[in-house]
Amino acid sequence: MAGGGWRTKRGRKAVAAVVFAVLGRGLVAAARLDERVRAEAGAWPEGTVITLGIGPFGPQVSWRAGGGMLEYLGGAEVEPTLAVTFKSVDGALPLLLGMKSVLGAFAEHRAMVTGDLALAMSFVRCLHIVEGYLFPDLMTRRILPRPAERRAGHLVAYGALVHRRARLEGASS
Amino acid sequence: MIPDYYEFCNSTKIVSGTRALEHIGYELAALGASRPLVLTNTQLLELKVATLVLDALADTEAEVVGVYEEVPVDSSASVVDDVARAYRERGADAIVAVGGGSVLDTAKGATIVLSHGGTLMEHRGAESLLGRRAVAFIAIPTTAGTGSEVTSAAVIKDTERHVKMGFTSLSLLPDVAILDPRLTVGLPPRLTASTAMDALTHAVEAVSCVQANPLSDCYAKAAIGLIRDHLPAVLDDPRSPAGRLALANAALMAGAAFSNAMVGIVHAMGHAAGGVAGIPHGDAMAVLLPHGMAYNIDAVGDRYGELLLDLAGADVYASTPADERAAASIATVRAMLDMLHTAAGLSVTLGQLGVLPEQIPDIARAALDDGAMSMNPKQPSLEELVEILKGAL
Ligand SMILES: [Fe+2]
Repeated sequence: MAGGGWRTKRGRKAVAAVVFAVLGRGLVAAARLDERVRAEAGAWPEGTVITLGIGPFGPQVSWRAGGGMLEYLGGAEVEPTLAVTFKSVDGALPLLLGMKSVLGAFAEHRAMVTGDLALAMSFVRCLHIVEGYLFPDLMTRRILPRPAERRAGHLVAYGALVHRRARLEGASS
Repeated sequence: MIPDYYEFCNSTKIVSGTRALEHIGYELAALGASRPLVLTNTQLLELKVATLVLDALADTEAEVVGVYEEVPVDSSASVVDDVARAYRERGADAIVAVGGGSVLDTAKGATIVLSHGGTLMEHRGAESLLGRRAVAFIAIPTTAGTGSEVTSAAVIKDTERHVKMGFTSLSLLPDVAILDPRLTVGLPPRLTASTAMDALTHAVEAVSCVQANPLSDCYAKAAIGLIRDHLPAVLDDPRSPAGRLALANAALMAGAAFSNAMVGIVHAMGHAAGGVAGIPHGDAMAVLLPHGMAYNIDAVGDRYGELLLDLAGADVYASTPADERAAASIATVRAMLDMLHTAAGLSVTLGQLGVLPEQIPDIARAALDDGAMSMNPKQPSLEELVEILKGAL
């Protein structure tokens, strides 16, 4: 692990970067497998760019919804429509590692939201679904508001992580 | 119990009591401001409520550069941008907002535009406004309910898309909140009751929501005790300055509580009922509070049990076995609603408020999407929400 693992901030940010990459592809995978994610992301305004990141110098991950597709943009510099920015890497990691719920992190003021809060709610619902595919029930029971419903098994979902794009439903293309 | 992590902020100076309004000149000077723009609505001017503030301002060194009286019932983004324009054109250096939630939220929106430039739409978000506010801001509530004078949130309608936008930032907290009983003694009984039930709901939800913390609990419980002690008395004697001041303080404390601890399912359903069926906020809160509590009870039973002390008083609390207190708290809220039905004509069901059975699915769906739901201690399914709402019909 880069820079001394857990003990250093650099190490923790490296861990976060890895999780962001998995989460980034995870959302695309979920959109391919699960009509609930397709419907949510399909309702986002054309050209929506969502960034999940750690401020001010941490890693980030972005997605773009447009032309009927959801695309994983990796850590590229973008101009987001909606940005969910953690105030510190230490506030982000418990969530990123599946130890704390998304709503729990918001309740603890760990992140700020720039943009439309209704869009943020939709994004959070998508994250819940993605967590259902990435994490086992042992973990999701603690971090999801309701028991995870899956349209495919974990292995299929992990396999779908190779994709960078997913077709959306209801998107105006 | 101390949460693993929490934040609490209530930076607003509270000026509360007899003739409190008369200190407005001093408060403006203390903020280094001398050219206030007064924000209010025509009705409050006609009722001579806003006039009290203008009279108080007349006897100060400050020069009122304008009275913006066109704030509508639902604050909207276009009005916010218009207020900001008026502020700049007249060279104002402070906003004095006199009114209920919509006037105060409009003022909050204007301070965002004036401090950060651009239009209001560009600044949507939660905790995302950084830097200091460039406007001195005094909030003077004319109802005892929303608590907006001490909350870090504003709800403003996007006029083009017809959706309500939420803003939360500590920079929305007013510098000063003035509570003067003269501003609320004239409120009619029904409005007094429904706004008090809004405040009660803020306090109860603040205690049960996931951001509850030791400081917000103090404010919430004190607010509940004040409402229990003073609401019936004020309905008997509406012009009692002491009673009105107590209710204004209760609303303020409940506001400080939920500004830090958030609200939950009752507000989510109430916002949805407002959007779908046009139900006034306070009326919806009064009807839905016991139903939301009944849904939450297995997740937060002990916390509701604690509230019996504030809701019903020491004697009832002491004579109720510990494991029956949570249910007794809900029964107390129901009894309070029945009392307000008789004394002030408050509705006790959604049906009485004009909600139709066929509107229930739409209200349930909108409630599920409401931001307040995310901080509720329990997350209902769509079907559960439909059942709760049917129970309230
Ligand atoms: Fe409310």
